[in-house]
Amino acid sequence: MTSLVSARNVGKSFGAVRAVDDVSFDIERGRITGLIGPNGAGKTTLLKAILGLTECDGTLSVLGLDPFRQRRELMQNICFIADVAVLPRWIRVAQLLDFTESVHPRFSRKRAESLLGETRIPRNARVRELSKGMITQLHLSIITAVDAQLLVLDEPTLGLDIIFRKEFYANLLSDYFDEQRTILVTTHQVEEIENLLTHVMFINDGRLVLDAAMDELPERYVELLTAGEKAERARGLRPIHEREVFGKKIMTFEGVAREHLRELGELRTPAVADLFVAKVKGTTA
Amino acid sequence: MIGAQWALLRREFWEHRAIIVAPVVLVGIVVLASITGQVAVSAFNQAVDLAILGASNLGERERAAAISAITIAISTLFLIEMAVLTTFYLLDTLYTERKDKSILFWRSLPVTDAETVLSKLLTAAIAIPAVTFAAIAITHLLVLGIAGVWVSGRGADAMYLIWQAAPLASNWLATLVLCLALPLWFLPFAGWFLFVSAWTKRSPFLVAILPLIVLPMLERILLGSTLFRDAIFVRSVKIPLFSADAGDGLVFGDADDFRIAGDADVTLLSFIDLSKFLGDPGLWTGLVVGGLFVAAAVYVRRYRDDS
Repeated sequence: MTSLVSARNVGKSFGAVRAVDDVSFDIERGRITGLIGPNGAGKTTLLKAILGLTECDGTLSVLGLDPFRQRRELMQNICFIADVAVLPRWIRVAQLLDFTESVHPRFSRKRAESLLGETRIPRNARVRELSKGMITQLHLSIITAVDAQLLVLDEPTLGLDIIFRKEFYANLLSDYFDEQRTILVTTHQVEEIENLLTHVMFINDGRLVLDAAMDELPERYVELLTAGEKAERARGLRPIHEREVFGKKIMTFEGVAREHLRELGELRTPAVADLFVAKVKGTTA
Repeated sequence: MIGAQWALLRREFWEHRAIIVAPVVLVGIVVLASITGQVAVSAFNQAVDLAILGASNLGERERAAAISAITIAISTLFLIEMAVLTTFYLLDTLYTERKDKSILFWRSLPVTDAETVLSKLLTAAIAIPAVTFAAIAITHLLVLGIAGVWVSGRGADAMYLIWQAAPLASNWLATLVLCLALPLWFLPFAGWFLFVSAWTKRSPFLVAILPLIVLPMLERILLGSTLFRDAIFVRSVKIPLFSADAGDGLVFGDADDFRIAGDADVTLLSFIDLSKFLGDPGLWTGLVVGGLFVAAAVYVRRYRDDS
């Protein structure tokens, strides 16, 4: 396995604010990693550093390149969608294809045309005439037609309705993803991509609070549904987070074997969103 | 590299349709005006117009001078349009992409910031002047063609009166020199506009223009010197492209000082002194200053993190 992205003690400050603080991780080829964090946690700053859009401290290597100093080479092998609204509004669909074709050595016009053929996007329309969903489809078609090794998506479906969001991720998997390709995605709608992910990273206050494979989560984390006296006993095993639903306590444990908990109530693997809340609240408390 | 630059230039034409539309509209206006007989050459002392040409009482040299005057007036009009268009283009080009966030898309492609900014500079310094020159040449032909038809309609020989008298080639050469030399002379302004466009958070026009007015005033009041006044205002009117005969500066605007009337043999080309232009230290310091501003624009686009 080769590391596509390798970060060692990466940091970035804006004045006195430490947006990304001493973060180290590796992303290997063929992964789909979700980068999850609350607003202002440093997600976007970290992505920008990976994309070479901003300078950072520490050592960051993407595809073996220094992203900030070798951005041009990097962009031949990386694609990113930063926001649903970044395609220039004045451009026509055909012009967008022409332009991308002439500046991107790895762009396949044929593939983009065939992907667009499955949509209702007219070639001579300007981007401003398209709906938000269509703009995202267009952007994804272009990016999918680039033979890139790493795809970075920063809130790619923000503001889209549920049908477009589902379709977006379905297309992403069917048209783009294979073992040679790697995806790094941030989103607020964790539930929607939970099943896609192979790995997950949580970031809070600029620090990485979790970096794990999805397969590892059931071993490391368990959620216990319990009540009454059993809840008291469970509390003794130091849950990292506790909440109450319909009079029942839901406790999240890290690194506690399931055998110890089984007699105390119902066990299940926490959803990523719940785990996220547990980890983030746990670490800030 | 070259292929990408070509694509980037083409993109500028897609985005800024005014580069084509503005000169085309101006061609239309001038042609319309000339059709309705409104092209009066007021810059000329004795108000030469097409009627006088048609009457052909003028000698051959006077006629050539009159036709030159018409073509020069047309060229001037288009050069003014070019200056306005280029100013607004430069102020808009790096500002709008930040405002609508499309910069994030452009920067997701394998194109460096230097290449992008260079394409905008080339658009201003070469592409817009080239379009302007083409529009001028077409307008010359159309206006003279209309005059020819008008003259023929009165039973005169248009070929002799108009086409053979018109020093078109020399006027075009002179216009081409102007189209290419003026952007070089004004490069410090172009660089400044590009920099403001890349840097300002709001109203690039005001941010670009206000210092040009306020700085010379402040300098005069506080220091009593005129460095900024010379660099901004004197530079704008005293262009060393014109030979001493033509006075020190642009002569187009000043009707009383227009020398063609005195010597009908003079064409626009004879006013231009390229060696004086190229030998002027002001040109070279201007290129350096302009280059520094362009470099600053690249730097800002590369290093600034708006979020």
